[in-house]
Amino acid sequence: LSRGDIDERLREEQQAVKVRVDGERCQGHTLCKMIAPDSFELDDIDGTSSPVSEVIPADQEDLVREAVHSCPEQAISIEETP
Amino acid sequence: VTSTDDNKTRYHFDRHTPEYRSQFEKITQEMHRRCPVAWTDTYDGHWVAAGSKEVFELARCPAVSNHHDLTGQTPFTGITIPTAKRSSGVRGGMLEMDDPEHRTYRNVLNPYLSPAAVKRWEPFIDETVRACLDEKIKTGRIDFVDDLANIVPAVLTLAMLGIPLKKWAIYSEPTHASVYTPEDSPDIERVLAMHREMGLDLLNTMVDIRENPRPGLMNALLQMTIDDAPAPDLEILGMLGLIIGGGFDTTTALTAHSLEWLSEHPDQREILSAKRDTLLDPATEEFLRFFTPAPGDGRTFSENVEVEGMQFKYGERLWISWAMANRDPAVFHDPYELIMDRKGNRHFSFGIGVHRCIGSNVARTVFKSMLTVVLDRMPDFRCDPEGAVHYETIGVIQGMRHLPATFTPGPRLGAGLDETLDNLQRICDEQELARPITERKEAAVIH
Repeated sequence: LSRGDIDERLREEQQAVKVRVDGERCQGHTLCKMIAPDSFELDDIDGTSSPVSEVIPADQEDLVREAVHSCPEQAISIEETP
Repeated sequence: VTSTDDNKTRYHFDRHTPEYRSQFEKITQEMHRRCPVAWTDTYDGHWVAAGSKEVFELARCPAVSNHHDLTGQTPFTGITIPTAKRSSGVRGGMLEMDDPEHRTYRNVLNPYLSPAAVKRWEPFIDETVRACLDEKIKTGRIDFVDDLANIVPAVLTLAMLGIPLKKWAIYSEPTHASVYTPEDSPDIERVLAMHREMGLDLLNTMVDIRENPRPGLMNALLQMTIDDAPAPDLEILGMLGLIIGGGFDTTTALTAHSLEWLSEHPDQREILSAKRDTLLDPATEEFLRFFTPAPGDGRTFSENVEVEGMQFKYGERLWISWAMANRDPAVFHDPYELIMDRKGNRHFSFGIGVHRCIGSNVARTVFKSMLTVVLDRMPDFRCDPEGAVHYETIGVIQGMRHLPATFTPGPRLGAGLDETLDNLQRICDEQELARPITERKEAAVIH
């Protein structure tokens, strides 16, 4: 890895959009999984949601944003580093 | 809308009148514009929450209680306004409990009703739907309520409970009829008699399963312990009533309204059928929003509290309107339009907070199965507006009693309903389908 590559990766990491599901708020409505099936997984026993990974892949960003808007409990948040 | 000395914004609200159904849009618009929360003097006086923000906050407020005190010593009278005469003596299961008690019961049900648990039932549901349609497919006539939407949710609910499938009719009619029959109706005695027969069968089944355990929700409730003691029989009965009441009428209501709408909008029906891979999920959520089968729930304030700038007092009753919150333009653009691919559809139809409808995954799965099979096998169905019978009042469930339709006849694909239910009963027993997801992961195999 060249210095430039490392800088590039650091920048990507810093710019990454992160998603979080508040476990206290989530009640298992499952809309997030319906909208962004690759970005959320549901608990087998009670259906509550958690992100597949904290950092959202670029190609999933729109769907995850749609899941945020669609959550009846407003339990999903996105953290962006400018 | 009037304001008085006690600073309560007042609005006359009576959701049990036929006018509430016919004037729903006007009432909703008026409340959203002028009083998203208001006090009404009807039914000994209670608050009504119509705005989405207020509904959201109140439904999640720790000072808002679901509890139903059967002794009548406290103001807590559960989720119905007014308190139903029929309900005296039994609480409405965990929907009339607060945490931590509610959570204890909910945890018992979760592994039977989670998305993963319900997915295992899909082949069973599809087979039941197939048989219902085969009963009618050659005639070119069907009543979507009587011949389909009343049957499938009832059969599945009984299967999950561990009650013999062939008894579905004993459970189905009184469950629907007791919702749409007013307590002063001349038909009420007949409905109550059917209800008693169902209650008796439920009690007998409880005794049977207690002596000879077999998998299912009823067994789970009988086996559960609270502080090392079994759950009280009356609470178990309340839970069973909740599962049956919640499992039957609501999905029927959603299906009937959606099919009626699709019949009135054949262009939309074609789009839904053609693009179902991507459209079925959002359209289902939109049907849920638009028709809100369970239009609201009652609550009681358990302390003096301020929410969204309004003062509420201990003991005051509250009606939380999911149906009106679902029309709030602050959350839903063009709220009075049914838009099948609506985005950001954070609807309130399964409730908000810890009491989120525990059967929501069942409702969606059963609805989608019924809808897609109708689209496949009766693509040109036409509902008869003359024969459609909506519930006269929608204070409890926004339902339909009948929805006759005609379509181009087609061939049968398999056995009729009775024979199919016998076969499905065997499959249920052999494969122990009613076990929780913690004990059985595999989907049902129909053969």
